[in-house]
Amino acid sequence: MKINDHIQNLGARIGTIQVLAFILLTLLGVRLYFLQIVHGEYYSDKAESQRVRLIPIPAPRGAIFDRHGKLLVDSRPTYNVVLSNEPLKSINVNDRVDDYAKGLEMDRSFVQERLALIKKQNDFESMVLKENVGMKDITWVEAHTLEFPELRVELQPQRYYPLGMTLAHVLGYVGEISPKQLEDPEMQAKGFHPGDIVGKGGLEQYYDEYLRGKPGYRKVLVDSRGRVQTELEVVQPQSGQDMVTTIDLDMQLEAEKQLANSSTKRGTVIAVDPNNGEIIAMASAPSFDPNVFVRGSSSAEGRKQIAAYWQDEKRPLYNRAIQGRYPPGSTFKIPMSVGALQEGSITVAHSNVLCGGGITIGNKFTRCMGSHGTPPLDYAITKSCDGYYYHLGLKMGIEGMIKMIETFEFDKRTGIDLPNEKVPQTPKTWMPYILKHEGKWSDIRTVYASVGQDTVVMTPISMIRAIAAVGMRGKEFTPHFLKEFKAIGPVGQEGDIAYIPPRAGFTYQHPEPRLIELQPDQWDLILKGMWGVVNNGGTAASIRMPNLEIAGKTGTAQVAELGKDTGANKDHAWFDSFAPANKPELAVLALIENSGFGAANAAPAVKGMYEQYLALKGQPSPENVAQK
Amino acid sequence: MVAIIEKQNFRDFDWVTTLLALMISAFGVWMIHNALPTESLWSKQIIGIGVGVVAFVVVSFSDYRRLIDTAPVFYAVGLVMLLLVLTPMGATINGQKAWLALGPLGRFQPSEFVKIPTVLMLAKYFGARKAGNLTLKEMLIGSAIFGGPLLLILLEPDVGQAITYFPILAAMFFLSGIKIRYVVLATVAMAILVPAAWIAGVKTGKIKTYQQERINAIINPESVDPRGYGYHTIQSTITVGKGGLSGNQGDPETSQSVLKFLPEPQSDFIFAVTAENTGFIGCVSLLLAYALLLSGMIGGAREASDRAGMLVIMAIVCGMIFQIFMNVGMALGVLPVIGVPLPLMSAGLSAILSTFVAIGFVISVKLRRFVN
Repeated sequence: MKINDHIQNLGARIGTIQVLAFILLTLLGVRLYFLQIVHGEYYSDKAESQRVRLIPIPAPRGAIFDRHGKLLVDSRPTYNVVLSNEPLKSINVNDRVDDYAKGLEMDRSFVQERLALIKKQNDFESMVLKENVGMKDITWVEAHTLEFPELRVELQPQRYYPLGMTLAHVLGYVGEISPKQLEDPEMQAKGFHPGDIVGKGGLEQYYDEYLRGKPGYRKVLVDSRGRVQTELEVVQPQSGQDMVTTIDLDMQLEAEKQLANSSTKRGTVIAVDPNNGEIIAMASAPSFDPNVFVRGSSSAEGRKQIAAYWQDEKRPLYNRAIQGRYPPGSTFKIPMSVGALQEGSITVAHSNVLCGGGITIGNKFTRCMGSHGTPPLDYAITKSCDGYYYHLGLKMGIEGMIKMIETFEFDKRTGIDLPNEKVPQTPKTWMPYILKHEGKWSDIRTVYASVGQDTVVMTPISMIRAIAAVGMRGKEFTPHFLKEFKAIGPVGQEGDIAYIPPRAGFTYQHPEPRLIELQPDQWDLILKGMWGVVNNGGTAASIRMPNLEIAGKTGTAQVAELGKDTGANKDHAWFDSFAPANKPELAVLALIENSGFGAANAAPAVKGMYEQYLALKGQPSPENVAQK
Repeated sequence: MVAIIEKQNFRDFDWVTTLLALMISAFGVWMIHNALPTESLWSKQIIGIGVGVVAFVVVSFSDYRRLIDTAPVFYAVGLVMLLLVLTPMGATINGQKAWLALGPLGRFQPSEFVKIPTVLMLAKYFGARKAGNLTLKEMLIGSAIFGGPLLLILLEPDVGQAITYFPILAAMFFLSGIKIRYVVLATVAMAILVPAAWIAGVKTGKIKTYQQERINAIINPESVDPRGYGYHTIQSTITVGKGGLSGNQGDPETSQSVLKFLPEPQSDFIFAVTAENTGFIGCVSLLLAYALLLSGMIGGAREASDRAGMLVIMAIVCGMIFQIFMNVGMALGVLPVIGVPLPLMSAGLSAILSTFVAIGFVISVKLRRFVN
């Protein structure tokens, strides 16, 4: 020390400063050690997660075709405004509600809902805010990228139903996965995210996993504002598989035309190939436009339309062919006849049962529409003799009837490849309930059930399946729509991270047809009766065709008791059929709600279907033309 | 006024300190380039270093005693410049009127430079006193000399810069024989008054919300809004941690500064850039370089031939230690975000120039250690 200053202890004071400096630098070094060496990996991951973002590339769904390759459902490109959650993470999203609602002309409550939903997602997820936007919205989003970095415009294939209301119940529609579906552990296991588009109803739902593609993604580098700097990796999506259905569009249009021309315009027409269960047409009226569900859910107007569908008393969203349950009326006499012959209640030689113009149970007389003496089975079918079946029902007993119900599997779903099929209700269903509340199963219930009333309600699909099986002399096929799923190729090279393996095509796997056993002469007797309905002065003689022998059965199912069966409570009209009678190629069912007599209201619709069938058969089909 | 470089001068010249300063600033240029590779800030910094080295040579070969004698003139000029900043001549950046626009020469930050006249003025006053304990009168006069520039800087307002002035006064008092009991008293008072002032400030709303957020980001980084005022601290911590052992050597693809996650990477957060690019090895080497530089300077203070020279060096040393600790501590997320440049590293002409001038004084004092 040059400056002589012992009192002030200068050297020690400078030393103190020096030591202090070293302590401070050491503290910084220790902190560095913890940040870089101990937690280096943690911060490295954190830095990566904030600069790398995955932008999904949606995969187009497979298209759906009719049996001749006519397009039924497709996807078309649309632009969506998409929200990413990362930039929103720490801002109060309520500040954005008004901006979006105003800028994109959206419903405030909907915007709020979406923002609440996206906030709950994991990092770097995104979700559609507004679908199907036009130039105006795109411009608005582009103009506000600095202000709202969380918004972007994305090209997305959107489901499109070119035929509108045609075939709507069969096709179903697609929409965003619902919160309830998301809670389903099965769906979670498949890796669904909120905002994913899934099939809802119809084939779209039933075959969702094949129709759905595998989305790809773009891995991009973003800056602190979320702006894309470079693309690191692109994984292309794999489209869903195209589906070929058994539907014949021309037959379908005819079925819908018949319903439109019917008196109440409510009901269903089903056409099936009895030789394999392929459904040629399935119409349910009134119908709906699936496109409303696809594009409507994000606009106030669309939501109103959807609500109107749900609230409509005529229930347009409900597929009457598989979800409607109606008393089958006299059409039930066909399975009854099969059952009676199986049970031995009657035989081919002795099939005569008393009509007597009706029956008295206790002190109540239930009448037949005519007085048929003691007719044989075929005559009872042709003329639809109620008295015959009242007595036959009592002969079979309720146990015999339940056995028949099990033979035809009326206590189960048909196994059609559509979701939400209903199970018919029969005496078998009601038995425990009635025994509990009434103590015993009374004969009058057996009598009513034998003509398809009271405790019997059937789905049209289970009815046509049974009738087609009778036409096939006992061979019963599962009704279905699937003909084939086309194969789809792989994406990328095998061994790549981005590789998606190809998906093989496949056709409908027919379960073994069930056999309803009866002797050939027994079948002959029933078929003769059914042939007579149209061709031998039976209840539907009015639809007789010169070039096609139709076999069928009319049904007029009571909705209310006699005397009150007018207006809204008019009977349901049924006609179940197949043709040609001896070697069926087509089975057709028509059910017109609350229209009155089956012969007058349902049979003409069936005739229309056969005429269309013959007309199409006469014409060379499109494939044949192309081949020639 | 340039002294003739004699043989003796050449021999006694402190090459180690000079070389360390040059190495650190060259390292800084590389980091400024890493921070923003597409901008020309690093080349501007080279010019700044060039100018700084010229000033450094001039000052180191001048006789510091003569410069201390003329300190009142420098001090007056400094105060005038700080006053000019407050007039319409001053340029406002980020809400602070801290700059003088010098036309084609760019901007100039007087508060950086006025530190030197303030140090010289205080050294002149305290260097002349006799041995013995510091008196109250001396403390008051020292505070008055110090108070002038401080008040003007606080009017800009540039609290960050103003804070860097306090170590100068502290060094002057401490090395001028202030009684240890006052040092203890001041330390205890700080420990009580600072938190008390904080609580009072928050309650009365004198401390603004963003200032509170910056402190909260240090005390409890998990609880603060990561997009709000805690953002800088969080991003800087991530950037430092990401560097790991040896850093990721200027990879712009993943660079936190290139992707704009790290704010002000060329100046306030240059240490975070260093950490990201050179890792623990680079950071510890830099801290060691600073330790060596400071040791060399402190060694010069011990050998100074007079009290004023010793005080000049130690005031500069304390100012530098303080700035290094504030800046690096901020980058490491242990101190609040205050815009204090890292000496010799941060981009900025005013800062690099004033640091080289300051080191020039140290060299000048050391050069004349044998002269009496």
